[in-house]
Amino acid sequence: MTCCVLRSACCVQIAVSHAARSAQHGLMNFFSESLHTAFGLISARDPDVVNAVTVSIVVSLWSTLFAALAGIPAGVVIGVAEFPGKRAAVTLLNTLMALPTVVVGLFVYSIISRQGPLGTFGLLFTPHAMVIGQTILAIPIMANFTMSTIKGADPRIVPTALTLGAGPFGSVRRLVIELRFGIMAAIIAGFGRVIAEVGVAMMLGGNIRGYTRTMTTAIAMETGKGEFALGLALGIILMAVALIANLFLNILQQK
Amino acid sequence: MAPLYQLDRIRKNYGNREALAIDELTIQPGRCYTLTGPNGSGKSTLLQILAFLAPPTAGRLLFCGEAVVWENGPLLRLRRQVTLLHQAPYLFSTSVQANVAFGLKTRGITGTEQRLLVDEALETVQLAGFQKRKAQELSGGEAQRVAMARALALRPKVLLLDEPLANVDGKSTELLEEVIVSLPARGTSVIITTHDPEHRQRFGTDRIHLVAGRPAAPPQPAILHKGETADAHL
Amino acid sequence: MKTMNGFLLALTTLLMLCAAAEASERLKMSTTTSTQDSGLLNVLLPPFEKKNDVKVDVIAVGTGQALKIGEAGDVDVVFVHARKLEDKFVADGFGVNRKDVMYNDFVIIGPKGDPAGIAKARTAAEALKMIAARGASFISRGDKSGTHVKEKELWKAAGVEPKGGWYIEAGQGMGPVITMATERRAYTLADRGTYNAFKGQKTDLAILFQGEKGLFNAYGVIAVNPKRFPHVKYDLAMKFIDYVTGPEGQKIIAGYKAHGEPVFFIYRK
Repeated sequence: MTCCVLRSACCVQIAVSHAARSAQHGLMNFFSESLHTAFGLISARDPDVVNAVTVSIVVSLWSTLFAALAGIPAGVVIGVAEFPGKRAAVTLLNTLMALPTVVVGLFVYSIISRQGPLGTFGLLFTPHAMVIGQTILAIPIMANFTMSTIKGADPRIVPTALTLGAGPFGSVRRLVIELRFGIMAAIIAGFGRVIAEVGVAMMLGGNIRGYTRTMTTAIAMETGKGEFALGLALGIILMAVALIANLFLNILQQK
Repeated sequence: MAPLYQLDRIRKNYGNREALAIDELTIQPGRCYTLTGPNGSGKSTLLQILAFLAPPTAGRLLFCGEAVVWENGPLLRLRRQVTLLHQAPYLFSTSVQANVAFGLKTRGITGTEQRLLVDEALETVQLAGFQKRKAQELSGGEAQRVAMARALALRPKVLLLDEPLANVDGKSTELLEEVIVSLPARGTSVIITTHDPEHRQRFGTDRIHLVAGRPAAPPQPAILHKGETADAHL
Repeated sequence: MKTMNGFLLALTTLLMLCAAAEASERLKMSTTTSTQDSGLLNVLLPPFEKKNDVKVDVIAVGTGQALKIGEAGDVDVVFVHARKLEDKFVADGFGVNRKDVMYNDFVIIGPKGDPAGIAKARTAAEALKMIAARGASFISRGDKSGTHVKEKELWKAAGVEPKGGWYIEAGQGMGPVITMATERRAYTLADRGTYNAFKGQKTDLAILFQGEKGLFNAYGVIAVNPKRFPHVKYDLAMKFIDYVTGPEGQKIIAGYKAHGEPVFFIYRK
């Protein structure tokens, strides 16, 4: 399983060196060919590309939603509360941020495979499996960003809410509302991590055409097939999708 | 009538440093106290304790004759009778209306009643019509006045003011002084820290002077004003 | 707060819409990358899917891994190319009803200059022996795929233990390995289908040895054993096996061409 992912990472390097070395295909040529392919795919609304974009976005949104429901409260609690073992919790959170996607993938794989404890649900190689894996992937990032936002918050917020008569819960609620931009940034960071990752999507989704094939697994696959221009074209589309998603969130922020 | 606050061997330490050491202090209701002392003498620390925001390291505090229990439940009830106004108040990043209504909302006051109280409080600080403005876009003086209105709307039993006139323009200073002076008559006792001797005179004669965290006799001014009484009730 | 609520509402609606889009039955198949990457499945699957109102979920990995996924009961059917491993899979009780589907062959490719001179070899084993003797670069799949299994058989036949700086274990799929061999000017063992898809534009390596019986590459399809894994869709898996080995599937396989050349061959009965 791991080799799938290593494969894709390695191939990008190969793709670049391949392009650089071919005399008749200079690097600029390679890149402009990819751009051309990208626009071609978009303007033709290529069904495979449309599907991969949809799967990427839908799975990432679900993962982001679930991860936010778990990660943001966790980050708030660790950021606000004083408890024994807080330092350990912060260290653990930082370590989990560095968790390789393949490790998360393997871990979830072992649990949801038919041989695993949750095997009866038949989740492996479905979008649900990808959502599970990506949620786990995004929780530490969101919790961490939320925690740092809270740490860097204006120290007057909570006392102000308290002296105006808010309870402990109400004052933390106000703190979260005051920090909404930072928390939105946490959500965006989580979304960015899951939409860009390939390990979990490949291992748990299986890169099934029209079902669990995402932009990233499609890039890995096309690269493996030697279709470097197509792979890079998909990469350009992925960037465009991420850009649109972030613009959308930015507009929400400014309201 | 029981005293407003009674402090009994109150200590507050930050690490090894003793920030406050008051063996005995009584504060009476219906008055306006000035709290004076050099920088770092423990004025803000004392206000934090009187606002029930930070527990003392040791000692007993009575509020209206009742011993304060430093636990969330009882504290919430006490905090709703005392409001602290900071020298650089934090306004929530929302409208002026929502800022002034914040404390009312926590007390379950909503709808028309809330709106009327907000309007009244804003009128008191001469900011009628500011309801829809964004708090972040106010000038320093306006922000201080909104913060004052936010506290006044709650009609607290005690208003604690930490250098409220430090960063404020002349017009706002005058206005806020007037409001503060009128508070005891409206049923709100006031404790205010200030550096400015002129303010001290306007705010009345009751005075608590701290030196290195301990109550002390205030430095004698060159000329004693007529009728000036002993400051704190030590 | 209002914008937050509006955002959540919009998000929920979008997610609901997407969740509703799932419907018909799904047959899960693990297979080797060559069936997918050659483009065969794109023409072989749609008629079956249409006739039975089913979606075939293809998980394309190396043969070794495809069988492992079957051994865990995570798929309903496997479609691979390593006869010995397939027989073991059936013997161990993981699969039933193994059927031959099609074949093609392996070729040894390398730089046109042929530094080890393997074009003159009489057998594939001899060709490998010459590469080893010369110390010419050779890239191995190294991923327990069907091709890797075949390569190891050939080294054994050659009586050579491949080791040293010239022997590169890539741990990657066929496509990346051909790319790597092209970059490193190395020899490698490739299935003809994938090589055909690469030759010209993507690689300038040439076929330097081919046509030996030992390079025969047979593809088989196996249903995952329902007695061992009661949850598998055995009936559907059998329908699929009947389809690919029946006249309709066989006709599509025999007629499939990439770059104008056939990729897979069917058994004449």
